[in-house]
Amino acid sequence: MKAFLGRLPGSGRAALAVVLGLWIVAAFAPAASRTASAIRLEARLLPPSASHPFGTDDLGRDLLARVVAATPISLAIGLTAAAVSLLVGFAVGGVSGYLGGLVDLLLSRVVEVVLCFPVLFLLLALAAFLPPSPSAVVLAIGLTTWPGDARYARAEILKAKSLDYTRAARAAGASTPRILVRHLLPNVLAPLIVSAAFGVAWAILAEAALSFLGVGLPPPASSWGGILSAAPAYIEEAWWMALFPGLALFLTVSAYNLLAEGLRRASTERGGYR
Amino acid sequence: MTRYIARRLLLAVPTLAGIVVLVFLLLHLAPGSPVSAMGGESGRRVSGRAAQEMRRLYGLDRPLTERFVKWVGRVARFDLGESFVDRRPVSERLREALPYTLELNGLALLLTLAIAIPLGVEAGGHPESAFDRISGAALFALYSTPSFWAALLLQTLFSVKWKWLPLYGVASDPAPSGLAGLADRLAHLILPVACLTYGSLAFYARLVRAGVAEARTADYVLAARARGLSRREALWKHAFRNALLPLITLLGLVLPGLLSGSVIIERIFAWPGLGRLYFDSILSRDYPVVLALSLVGAVATLAVTLAADVAYAVADPRVRDGTGP
Amino acid sequence: MGALPTPVPTAAPEPVLGYIDESKKRVPMEGGVLRRRLVGEPGTLNAVLQSGLPEQQVLQYLSRNLLDFDSRLNLVPGLAERYQVSADGREVRLTIRSDALWEDGSPVTARDAAFTIHRIVDPAVASPVFKPVFEGLVSVEALDDRSLVAKFREPYAYHAMAFVLPLLPEKRYSGKKFARARENRAPLSDGPYRLVSWKPQDAIILERNPRYFGPPGHFDRVQFRILPESSVAYRALVAGDLDETQIDESLKERATRDPDFNRCCRVVEFYNLDYNYIAVNNRSPLFSDARVRRAVTMLLDRPAIVRNLFRGSARIISGPWAPDSPGYDASVRPLPFDPAGAARLLAEAGWRDSNGDGTLDRAGKEFDFELLVSAGSNIGRQIDEMLAAELARVGVKARVRPLEWASFIERIDAGDFEAASLAWSASDPNPDPFPYWHSSQWPPRGLNSGFYRNPEADRLMEEARRQMTEDERIRIYHRLHAIFRDDAPAVFVTNASAKYAFRRQIGGLVTSPIGFTGIWPGPVGWWGTKAAP
Repeated sequence: MKAFLGRLPGSGRAALAVVLGLWIVAAFAPAASRTASAIRLEARLLPPSASHPFGTDDLGRDLLARVVAATPISLAIGLTAAAVSLLVGFAVGGVSGYLGGLVDLLLSRVVEVVLCFPVLFLLLALAAFLPPSPSAVVLAIGLTTWPGDARYARAEILKAKSLDYTRAARAAGASTPRILVRHLLPNVLAPLIVSAAFGVAWAILAEAALSFLGVGLPPPASSWGGILSAAPAYIEEAWWMALFPGLALFLTVSAYNLLAEGLRRASTERGGYR
Repeated sequence: MTRYIARRLLLAVPTLAGIVVLVFLLLHLAPGSPVSAMGGESGRRVSGRAAQEMRRLYGLDRPLTERFVKWVGRVARFDLGESFVDRRPVSERLREALPYTLELNGLALLLTLAIAIPLGVEAGGHPESAFDRISGAALFALYSTPSFWAALLLQTLFSVKWKWLPLYGVASDPAPSGLAGLADRLAHLILPVACLTYGSLAFYARLVRAGVAEARTADYVLAARARGLSRREALWKHAFRNALLPLITLLGLVLPGLLSGSVIIERIFAWPGLGRLYFDSILSRDYPVVLALSLVGAVATLAVTLAADVAYAVADPRVRDGTGP
Repeated sequence: MGALPTPVPTAAPEPVLGYIDESKKRVPMEGGVLRRRLVGEPGTLNAVLQSGLPEQQVLQYLSRNLLDFDSRLNLVPGLAERYQVSADGREVRLTIRSDALWEDGSPVTARDAAFTIHRIVDPAVASPVFKPVFEGLVSVEALDDRSLVAKFREPYAYHAMAFVLPLLPEKRYSGKKFARARENRAPLSDGPYRLVSWKPQDAIILERNPRYFGPPGHFDRVQFRILPESSVAYRALVAGDLDETQIDESLKERATRDPDFNRCCRVVEFYNLDYNYIAVNNRSPLFSDARVRRAVTMLLDRPAIVRNLFRGSARIISGPWAPDSPGYDASVRPLPFDPAGAARLLAEAGWRDSNGDGTLDRAGKEFDFELLVSAGSNIGRQIDEMLAAELARVGVKARVRPLEWASFIERIDAGDFEAASLAWSASDPNPDPFPYWHSSQWPPRGLNSGFYRNPEADRLMEEARRQMTEDERIRIYHRLHAIFRDDAPAVFVTNASAKYAFRRQIGGLVTSPIGFTGIWPGPVGWWGTKAAP
């Protein structure tokens, strides 16, 4: 593992540092939550200043506190949604690729259905059905992104299946679980981690879009996207309401993407078949 | 080959059926109905006998299975029904919005390919070079920017502050004719297309770059170089060609992303395309339009996926024989 | 991103908060094009099938009503030159003008009127605006070309208001399916303007109707553009592409600080009959006690809302009417903002934190509920968040939940909610509270979505409906107002001003408590000048 991380390019290491930094900020977030929910109508829409470094929002709440308080939610949703997507995707894709035959046929149809399903419609329908809790948002994002992971996993498994050493192990009579764990899993692990990192970035963006469309988390427990959703109405008089949450999103998503790219490079250099 | 295509086509049928059934179920089970959505936020609330009568008018009192069978029967005769909102044939409403969507998404796709491919090839051909690093950083920045944020910022800068570009819409009013009219329409296209393009551009460029960078060190490229081809020729003729196939497949993933991304863009820029129609129809519970658009979208995505798979099969014999993907 | 310059406030002209009437001014110019904004695409231009504001805004130019409201909300003749309500309040007779013509030259007759009303009450026709109004209709018939008689089952003081109604030409619909006729997208006009073109998602263009019986409109053409986003409409106005638009509080604020706006345009602001309120479910164990409902009212800092959210251009209300409605009794003072008093009331009603979890409870039930709001309503959300914060301080847990409109309305109409933020929009001056607060109007039958029941209020509402004398009716409504304040069937919040932005060269504005569109001549009486922006 250490060797793996050691192969991260410079940009990847910087990204990792940023991600860790964000998690530290998230850990401190509860301290900011009181300030973040303090409504003070007299202090509405104030521009950035010494007392309010990010300005205030349309209900007079300090924007810096709100952005900080939203950190754990945004990160957690991103991570969980990516995890859900990954788990479901790799399970389905892996089984599909490994077993082949009828199972593969059926599962591939399921993947196809979800892939071609109108995403927007699904999200709006889910938003209408379920109370907008973080779990509903995670479910919505996870359910719409897992087919990508499934296809990826299936392709990787197929590749690994056809390799010489796997065939050799089979010929030598190794049992299926043994092959899975000893041979296939380590090779899928690296792409899995890479996919996870990209997935987190994507999930964070998706959640922001959902909140922006009005189907994300309910106030005041906002994510960055949620804070952004109130911004368009005040875009000309309070540009800070759009700028700072957007920057937070941008920073986080870039960091995860860079990290993912770095991990991918590190894993490819492991030599062999990729 | 034909057997492969026939097989894939046959397999597409249950997929389509699955999508259609799911959409129908979700749509009708979701809270809200055309009656409650009537008139939108400025509409009147209806209750009691009036509401009951209206539900009957929309066929909402019939059992779900009956409604589904009726709808399938209609679609089989290529009749998409009438919109609940204005009683016009759904096909008419789709036909009105289609050219605008094609314009927007078509241009976005063209631009994406036109920029991403050369950019990716160049960067992939010279990894770790200055060009690669700078373009990589720029692409990351683009990829990480939420589209609605970018749209708002661009609008504020280019339309409000500097007044270089129009704020919204398809054309000015009154619209000039002839060459000036063309220029006017182009001016209106710039911001929406830009917002729609940059995300998929960044995604695709990085893919191209990765593919080319990998293929670059492959044996056949080295052999080509040995034969005396220039770096550039080797890159384009061999590395790119071989990286092409996965890229075509992935194009099938880019397309639905464009279509759903265009919903937000169409709202912000008041662009009367299919995305906006879809969103508005969901909000007003215009079941026939939602069903029709979901069907059309699913068919389009399936068609693209199928085309990509066939292209793959043409190139890679393993696929045809069923030993591959 | 470079720092945007802080706006330099220029001397903004004082917005007129009150009613203006520019109709007596001399009209400087005839002709020109009026460019107006629609917030959405009309679904139809069939007057009977209309269901929302955009349709009403366009139809106002194309179809005259039988009777109209003037700017003082009096019923005045329209297509009908006179009307008569029988002594028992059950029958209404109207006589249609002899010179009223459809744009093809044929006369507008009482048969058209009878046809229109028959379509409204037809169960196969979806007419959300007019069906409720004609629910008690027994019969309607055209006695001859010009006379119409309508008989209702019950006497009702406001039957005549039902005839603020546009007509459809009977002959155009014979033999056709009513809802699908192409006529609905290309209607025959009997008003001052006729339809030239309707490009869906784009624009609707009208021009003067030469066959119209009354004085022609001042503009040659009227053009409607569909612009759902208010901020986009604002920018179009300032850029000179639009002549008017409705705006909200935040846009008004932007306008007052925007030098470009002040150069070209003005804000017109006046009080109408709309108001915000928070409906509560009176059948729920949480809100069945009037003391609890009063406590919730006292936990909403309405003075601060007026001061800060509306910047003073709103008035607190203490009952289900706006202060300018005849039903409102100004001597019924609103409950004060009093968190301590509210806490006492809650305790009195038996709510205590018996298990120490920070939330009040009673008989095992925690005081924890969902506060619904429509996802598109900025003001609703802000009010809800304020209330939720204050409620949290006294141990009541309110979870604000934005819902998309169709789902929201469905739950409201079904009474499936604990509390919900609503806006009441008045399209006519009828102050009768019966459909919304009488216990016979519980869902699904009626619009009393909060399941309110008060026998004395019921009795008074029934009496008022039968009362033909205006003064008597008003007295009853004032008694009801006092009951509503103390019984708090809902949390009544504010009556905010309606705000519009106009380019300076548009004149002839006449405002009314029901806005521009509900009165005659309304926007039809506007004129323009060629004066420079």
